[in-house]
Amino acid sequence: MKSLTLEHASFWYPATEAPALRDVSLEVAQGEIVALVGALGAGASTLLLVAADLAPRVTGGRLTGAVARRDRSGIVLPTPWTQASGMAFTVWDEVAFGPANLGWPAHEIARQVDRALEQLELVPLASRDPATLSGGELQRVIIAAILAMDPGLLLFDEPATELDAAGAQMVWRLMRRLAGEGKAILLATSALDAVPDVADRVVWLEDGAVRAVGAPDLLADVAVCEAGLGTSVATVWRASGLPGPYPPTVAHAVRRWR
Amino acid sequence: MTRLHPFTLLTIAGALPALAWVLPAPAGAAATAAVALVLTLTPGASPGLTGIGSSPGWRPGLVVLRAALLTAAPFWVFLLLLHDVPTTIAIGLRITTMVASFVWLVAALEPARLVEAMVAAGWSASVAYLFAATLTAVPMLKARAQRIAEAQRCRGLSPRGGIASRLRALRALALPLVLSALHEVDERALALETRGLRPGIRRTTLAPPHDPVVERAARWVLLLACPAALVWRLL
Amino acid sequence: MSIRLLALIPVAAAISLALSAAVDAVALPLFLDTTGTILATALAGPAVGIATGVVTSAVNTLRNPTFWPFVVVQVIVALYAWGAARAGLFRSFRTAVPVGLALGVIAAVTSTPISYLVFGCTTTGGIALTTALGKALGLPPLGACFFGSFVSDFGDKAVTFALVTSVLHALPRRTAARFPWALRAIGVA
Repeated sequence: MKSLTLEHASFWYPATEAPALRDVSLEVAQGEIVALVGALGAGASTLLLVAADLAPRVTGGRLTGAVARRDRSGIVLPTPWTQASGMAFTVWDEVAFGPANLGWPAHEIARQVDRALEQLELVPLASRDPATLSGGELQRVIIAAILAMDPGLLLFDEPATELDAAGAQMVWRLMRRLAGEGKAILLATSALDAVPDVADRVVWLEDGAVRAVGAPDLLADVAVCEAGLGTSVATVWRASGLPGPYPPTVAHAVRRWR
Repeated sequence: MTRLHPFTLLTIAGALPALAWVLPAPAGAAATAAVALVLTLTPGASPGLTGIGSSPGWRPGLVVLRAALLTAAPFWVFLLLLHDVPTTIAIGLRITTMVASFVWLVAALEPARLVEAMVAAGWSASVAYLFAATLTAVPMLKARAQRIAEAQRCRGLSPRGGIASRLRALRALALPLVLSALHEVDERALALETRGLRPGIRRTTLAPPHDPVVERAARWVLLLACPAALVWRLL
Repeated sequence: MSIRLLALIPVAAAISLALSAAVDAVALPLFLDTTGTILATALAGPAVGIATGVVTSAVNTLRNPTFWPFVVVQVIVALYAWGAARAGLFRSFRTAVPVGLALGVIAAVTSTPISYLVFGCTTTGGIALTTALGKALGLPPLGACFFGSFVSDFGDKAVTFALVTSVLHALPRRTAARFPWALRAIGVA
């Protein structure tokens, strides 16, 4: 079942002539993880805002085409310190902020918050003041805060930017678990090496338009590698002068090599 | 004292200075100043929001009193410079009441409890957000301002020089701070919206502070005492 | 009020309170404590500006309780800034600085009765000393108090208006267009 459908969607920010999104058509099914990749300014973040019903409603601007959402969405933005509510003085309260705004009963809020804290391994930090957390810790808190609202459609904009390697791995594993639970996930990321293990599909954006859509081995495609968006393994393989098709991951390279 | 309802703490901190100004000086102001200073000694009045520090030689219970006295002291000095002794005493006691009341309030009031009290009382979540979000934003922007100042100092910024060069330096410090803060407004709005904070929502209270009938009655008595004292004074 | 304007208020208030670090770094006798109020008004109108001024005063009061009675000054600053924004007076330093100087006079006129009646003109050491100077020059008590407030406010408000003008012109058009009054304040819309 489709959680999100965009049909020929174009979007212009206020006071700009060039569209940030051009004629984008995209579907994300429940239980699917779709990764958006592209150069800076390609439109991935804008696409997430449109999917979250924040553009143009909050950002202003103009949207044409059709956007259909089956589920409530939650978006995680790249910079954690601007996403903190400012109204919570403990991590527990920060995660509970969203469910409280939804007017849920207190026992349901407690259940969702405790579950989200466990999923993001934040239980030891529950009573800490969010202002005292590191960037990585705060980003995990924000992810927990969105999960606690139990959205059906999850939108991640560079969720691993502030995280160390272990934290990033935890988030990728969590995404696969959430997809297994039926969540639809749309992820904009420049952590290209993680995409083959996380995503079911990859959408390559360029100048606000969809350039290509495919399985994660799209990131080993010649054109994608030439655009600088290939995985490290594919890029090194290509740079070494070895013949294509380029392997996207180490496992693929080992199989090719043997 | 921290277990009193936040609205009770606010009412006391507001009523004492009001009564100090309404009641005849110096007796009225002396009484309110005494009450305010005694409050700073109450259990639960501890270094609070503004990080009132302690120093060797001062017992923990006296930290808040010390902060109140140190904040009020300069006013007495300046009053003596400008006014005669009776005026100095009258105004000085009123200012001492105000200072001590608010220093005590800062030490006794927990922001989280105030936010919960506002939501439980039916105040708009937006109003609670404005106060709490400013409290959390100030230290962050101050820290950023310090970093910008350090970075500009590395690039040769100096407090020496004429007014014009210092104003140019001020612009070099202030502009990045303000522009970066404004850029974040959009992201904050997006984050608030996605987490359900909208005008008119009915937010669940997670831990509403206990508000006994006695405290509510006491608040009303205090609130009515101020205009009553004013009427008495005028008549 | 939209969520973006709601998000602007604490940021603008925090700007007013955080600029003290910049002022200290250049050793200038300024406060800039109405910067956020004027900026918020120029971007989003008087309601947002007044809310910013009230929140600034409330939070500042936690640091120094003597700020609260001057919340009236913040409200008047917001209303004045709205008039300036409506007239597009933030379009250049040549229009903004004289307007800021005039606000300095108005702010001094507004704050003097509060300073005199509530604090006996001892709000800050600088104002107290300048008031003493005014008394020594033979001014009556209220006049000396006005002299103290005027010396403090005159330059401060002019610099604040100049700073807000710089900010409004430095904002990318795409960002400015998202605030209802920003382009009109700089005389574009």
